[in-house]
Order: sequence, then structure tokens, then C-alpha cells
Amino acid sequence: MSAAVSPIEQMVVVLARDLADGELGAAGAAALVPMAAIALARELHAPNLTVGGEMFFNPEPGRLYPSMLDDRALGRCEAAETFIELFGHSHHGLDFFFHSGLQHDVYGNINLHHVGGTLHAPKMRGPGAANLSYCHTSSRYYICPTVHTARNFVETVDFITIPGHLSGPSAKRDAGLVNEGPRLVVTPRAVMDFDKTTLRMRLKSVHAGNTPEEVQRHTGFDLAIRGEVPQTRPPTEEELRVLRERIDTSGALRA
Amino acid sequence: MEGQAKPTRRSKVTGLQDAARLARGALEERPELCLGGLFKQSRPVALVRALLAAGADGLHVYSSPGAGYDVDLMIAAGAVAQVFIPGVTLENRLCPNFRRAVEAGQVTAHALDALTVVGGLMASAHGVPFQPIDALRGSDVLKHNPLLHEIDCPFSGRRIHAVGPIRPRVTFLHAQEADRWGNLRHLSTMVYADQLMARASDMVIASVDRIVPDEVVLDDPSRVTVPSYYVDAVVEVPYGAHPTASFPNYAMDEDHIDAYADLGDAARTGDSTGLDTYIARHVTGPKNQSDYIEAVGGAGYFAVLEAEARNE
Repeated sequence: MSAAVSPIEQMVVVLARDLADGELGAAGAAALVPMAAIALARELHAPNLTVGGEMFFNPEPGRLYPSMLDDRALGRCEAAETFIELFGHSHHGLDFFFHSGLQHDVYGNINLHHVGGTLHAPKMRGPGAANLSYCHTSSRYYICPTVHTARNFVETVDFITIPGHLSGPSAKRDAGLVNEGPRLVVTPRAVMDFDKTTLRMRLKSVHAGNTPEEVQRHTGFDLAIRGEVPQTRPPTEEELRVLRERIDTSGALRA
Repeated sequence: MEGQAKPTRRSKVTGLQDAARLARGALEERPELCLGGLFKQSRPVALVRALLAAGADGLHVYSSPGAGYDVDLMIAAGAVAQVFIPGVTLENRLCPNFRRAVEAGQVTAHALDALTVVGGLMASAHGVPFQPIDALRGSDVLKHNPLLHEIDCPFSGRRIHAVGPIRPRVTFLHAQEADRWGNLRHLSTMVYADQLMARASDMVIASVDRIVPDEVVLDDPSRVTVPSYYVDAVVEVPYGAHPTASFPNYAMDEDHIDAYADLGDAARTGDSTGLDTYIARHVTGPKNQSDYIEAVGGAGYFAVLEAEARNE
């Protein structure tokens, strides 16, 4: 491939590899990276993956859009529902979903409401979040913010908008969160997963051009680095070709 | 001529100012206003501007689960006391006046989620005392959400949530077409919660891009998204959703919203002259929609948004 792989392209490829054929899932609010990952998975190994649960089924956009709340981003789609169907999807659940926020913590909890202060006297008020139900009724979800700094990766979030693993296995059980919850955290720097016993986030691999020490320095909590940390498997020739030629024709992931 | 003349059916077509006066009077009884569309799609912004120009205040604002520009503008104009919308954002950036007013304690922004709002509207539309919800766990939103109660499920005994009816006094909708009786036709791909809100509300006022002949509705009744029975008044307003989109007719005006947000951010950090000028130019100044269209940039400007909607 001619141009270098962008950090966002690397994120898309990591996420696409984790989506399986036959699954049902949706992109969430910040749709650029998730929709690219879904489209790449469908092109390469998951032709029966269904996009659904957010009112539209199997959209066919001609290029990538930052938001799917735009009729152009749906292009042609197979079916359009309304909010009346939200309960059905929320109760049946999806296989996967995507979230990102203002703050993410060591247990994968996500804050979109306020930073500093309290909910009704916030230092900084965030946007809130529309759909909380999929953090519980989707079998799993991915956390994929397009920035990774010590300011948005903090030990404890100021407000839990989207619950991750709360404060570990017993808190999660007590709250009735029975599904897997956040599986992977994929950022422009690295991939993190969660320790099976403690459910604390840990560094899994670093993308080309990053070192574990750098990633740790840009993270506000201990990433539990033990020994060698592998490099994230870069995109294959085919992954990159399909991504650029068939999905991201406008180069949004390289902007 | 013998006998009586055939009685005539009453048209629901009205003007923007009359619609705003109707809404304002109703909202003085109970300040719960609900807005159709979602984020930058099919928002009834011309109706919102007319209501602001008519001088509404102390509003409790509801919406489908996500809103941005219009709610922020209403807050900038000082018309809002409480926000009952799960997500308030311009998507590519935060809502500046929402943020400023909530941080300053001038507006209460409740922590909610989509199921609460949709469930509350469903309870109202269906005439039942509450809608059960069995899909919310572990979020701090549940500790603060003023519309939810925890209940014991009478069948399983499990602790679940219940939301009571959300019954807006007035709902504003924007659709692409209606006939003179108020039968709405959404031609956009996404209709969001408009149909639900129409059934949940006391009063529904709709703006449409155009009024169509009766035959258009009669020839294709399954295309009617909201029957006229639910609609109290309908207003033909060219570009009535601007700066949000009314697909397939015109796209959202991202540049306009961005420029507005820059003025809002300036006001947030101390300089409100630009924002004041914006409100005078776009909200309180125009006497009608033609004035507004001129203030925004005229017919040529809107032709570009029409072309964008066709992906040209």
C-alpha cells in the first residue's frame, strides 16, 4: 500500500476482526469508526452480519459519514424503523455495540454527563447519552474513542453514564449486569482488554509507532504492563485495500 | 335553491404567527413542549423561532432522545427552565448555550435515557399509567432520573423500572408534506419518534415543506405517517426545518450551525454581542419566513442545501 496506515485505520481493522458472521449490532452515536469496522467485516468475513437496532437495517452509504443520523449516511437501506421499536431491540438485545465518552476509567465505565462538580452543578456539562440499554442488553460492546490521553482515561469517572464493569465482578453482579460488557478498548495508540479476574483494564497491544511506556504515560491509571507487550497486528494488504477502495472512498479515516 | 348548503370541513392550515400564538397560549397553561425529528434531521425550527419571537419562557422541553441546535437556541433566548432530553449535542461539538446555562445553574438538565423518554411517550399514547422497562442497569442516570420508579414485576418478582406518561401540552413536528386537513407525510427515510409524539400529546402543530392536494393523500394512504386526527394545525413553511435537514428536500446546514456554535462559545466565555446579533437577525427580526430566508442567504443559498440533499 502506498500511504502509511493511519491510527484510525488501525482501529477500524482491529474492531472489524472481532465482529463475527451472523451477528446483529449497531454503531452508536460516534459512528465513523464503528460503521467502517462493520462494513469491513461484512466485506471480508461476515457477509451475514446485520446492522440493526438503531432504527435502520443494513444501510448502504456510498462513503463514510461522521453520524448515521443523516438520511444520506443511510444511503439506501433495507428497512427503516422508528423509536417505537426501541423497546423491542433493547429487550432482545444485540450482539455488539460501540461506545465512547468524555472519560473512560479502569473498569471501562464511561462518562458523558459532567466533568467536575455534580450533575446539577457541573464544572463542565457534557452531552449525556441517548441509549443506555445496550450496555446491558448487548452481549458485548467496544470502547473506541478517537483520542487517548491521561485526561480522558482516568482512574475513576466522575459520573457513570454507560456502565462498564463498575468496580469489578461483585459490583457488576449486584447491579444485575449479566452480559460480557466492554470487551476491548481500541484507541489510536493501543488495544486494551480486561483482566478476567479483576475486570481491570490492561494493555493488550500497542499500534506501530507507539511504545508501552508512551501509552502508559498517556493513561491516567496503571495499565498493568507485565513483560513484553506485543505490537497490534497491522492491517493486511487486503484489509487495507478493501477498506480504502470499497469503504472509505473519501479518505475520512486518514483525515 | 332549497335546503341547506353542505357544511364544509375545516382546514387546519394556518400561518406561522397564528400557530406560535396558539402554542404559546397552551404552554402558559402547562409548559411542556416536545419537538419532533432528531438532532439535525426534521426539527420544527421555524415553529421554535416563531414561539421564541412570541415570547415563551419557563419551558420544559422534551424531544425524541437527541436534540441540539433548536434546544440550544431556545436556551440562548432565555425560554427554557428544564430539559428532559437524554442527549443534547451538536454531535461534532457540544451545545454552547446548553452547557453555559446548566453550568451556571440557570437551566436544569435532567439525566435521562432513551427508554425513559420513549416509554413515557408510549404510556401517554396508550393511555396506561406506566410503561415497564427491563433493560436499565448500573448507570448513575438511574440514580438521578426523575421520571423513573423501581417496581416489583408482578409476574417475576424482579426489580424493574416504570416510567409514567409523558404528555406534552404541545408538540411541534416537521414533515415534508401534508394535506389541508393535516394528514402528514414524512418522505424522509427516518421518522424517529414523530408518530409516537403525535399520539402522546394534547396539541400537535406541524410545519411542512409543502401542502399537497387531497388526492395525493387519498391515492396512497399507507404513506400517511400521522393521520390528521392527531394534528391540530399545519403550517406550510418553505425550509421550515432549517438549519436542520428535511430530507429528501434539503440537507442540514452544517456551516450555519457551526457559525452559530462559535457565537455561542464566545458568549460562554464572556462576549455575547455576536449571539445577540444572531438572535435579532434570525429569531426576533424576521417578520415571516421569507425574511428569514433572506437573512440566511436567499434562494441561491438554499439551492445548495437542496443539491446536497440529493448528494450532488
